[in-house]
Amino acid sequence: MKQAVISCLHANLPAVEAVLKDIELQGITNITCLGDLVGYGPQPNEVIELIRDKRISTCQGCWDEDVVDGLDACDCSYPSQLAEKRGHIAHQWTTDQLTKENKDFLAKLPYSIRKDKCLFVHGSPNSQHEYLLPDMDAFAALERVETARAETLFCGHTHQPYIRELANGSIAVKVKNADSKDIQEKEMDLPMRRIVNAGSVGEPRHGGTKATYVVYDENTNEVKIREVEYDVELTCKAIIKAGLPQIFAWRLRNGFEFAEQAEDASHVCER
Amino acid sequence: MSETWLISGSPGCGKTSWILDTFKNHQGSCGYIRLKGFSEIDLEQAVSSKIDFNYLKDQIPELLDLNSSNLALITSKENPLIIIELPQFKVPELYGLNGIDLRVLKELEDLKLKPNKYLHFGRDPELQIKDTLNFKNIESYNLELKKSIWDPASLNTFWFELVNGAYGDVYRAKALMNLPDGRYIFFNWILSQQGSQYLTLNNVAPLNGRPERHSEIVIQGNKIDFDLIKSTIQNCLLNDSVLELHQASLRDSQLQTA
Repeated sequence: MKQAVISCLHANLPAVEAVLKDIELQGITNITCLGDLVGYGPQPNEVIELIRDKRISTCQGCWDEDVVDGLDACDCSYPSQLAEKRGHIAHQWTTDQLTKENKDFLAKLPYSIRKDKCLFVHGSPNSQHEYLLPDMDAFAALERVETARAETLFCGHTHQPYIRELANGSIAVKVKNADSKDIQEKEMDLPMRRIVNAGSVGEPRHGGTKATYVVYDENTNEVKIREVEYDVELTCKAIIKAGLPQIFAWRLRNGFEFAEQAEDASHVCER
Repeated sequence: MSETWLISGSPGCGKTSWILDTFKNHQGSCGYIRLKGFSEIDLEQAVSSKIDFNYLKDQIPELLDLNSSNLALITSKENPLIIIELPQFKVPELYGLNGIDLRVLKELEDLKLKPNKYLHFGRDPELQIKDTLNFKNIESYNLELKKSIWDPASLNTFWFELVNGAYGDVYRAKALMNLPDGRYIFFNWILSQQGSQYLTLNNVAPLNGRPERHSEIVIQGNKIDFDLIKSTIQNCLLNDSVLELHQASLRDSQLQTA
């Protein structure tokens, strides 16, 4: 059985509709969403209502959490002063637009969803704000998957889709008893673990403008990244019309790989 | 004997780089002045920017600024070379000194400068043009940023956006920027060349407040949203309390390593 994993929708309705259509055309009915339904984009209520109507199981993203909390992410979530100021504008705009019903929906979203040997999170099992980058230290990456007791960890947040296989992992432990000179050593081989990043439906940063998501085949264990075209200009016009920073439209229109990202990607906000 | 050369060319053709190389290879004293130039129809010259002089002065500390009436001083020195930089779009109709625009001649007279050589980039074989930009329409914008200090990550984002067209079609951008750690960075970009040139200058400011040195950005292009640029820059600059936070942390780390 196949299932689709979508992430980082960012209030971009044309992109979400195009991706859901692509999923439907493949006959896939099992969909999991990794959060960030809102933020940056111009249609937060419409996107939330579409996800609710379709009863798509969803975990909470960093934007969803921040909007609900009524305060912006702490400064450490922003990589620069400029990003922070723009983020504040988008946050305030989104907060003003959202209906109470939709805010309540975001508030009740779980941090993670577990389905058999798969764990679905927005950022990492530690936090919605942590970035699991494709080139992060292999030991740290393996630690995130192993401590979450998952074979495959599905995440988003970076907006860059990737599949990373962590093969031939092992943990070596040395123990010395207090009343003995002997040191006991043990080495455990770990089965292959995998991190799958679904990229972003609503604000791709993979060097192109197409929305991305992944399809996971439970029978073959195969994961495929899919790219879907949508009417980018429609969203860009809506961003400008909404009065959001026009740089958001420019970024979307160009699909630059460049992204504002925290200097320390693994930093976890402890506010 | 004093040599006085007038060098003209369109924006980004490589005038300043050529002048720097020429001064570096010259055995004797050096003087420099940059004229404002004249705008043509739909082709606006950059406001006479101090970026070039400050960049050259950083690389050649003994360079004399002829804007500050140092003419008598340099001509009294041994083997002086004076270079006059003139931004000019159109190719002069005549070769040599006869090709100097009459308006420029008047300006030179007022400055008591008399060139004995005149070269134009892309026309005279000594000055090979580096790019092939054919300016048909150009607007110009400059913003004084003296005492302004950038949040480094914001500067990185802003420059990326600027040179990739977020604020309009930028053909040329150069700037001198202050960073909170005292660094003074020369930014240089032109559409026809790959990538930006970033050069950390020798001048380092102390970690206590805002330096007095020149800081400015000059942007030339077409359909540029200057208001958006200005408001974005304002969002990138550090206020006093954030600056002090940065500098106090840097002072502490300097003390620990001392």
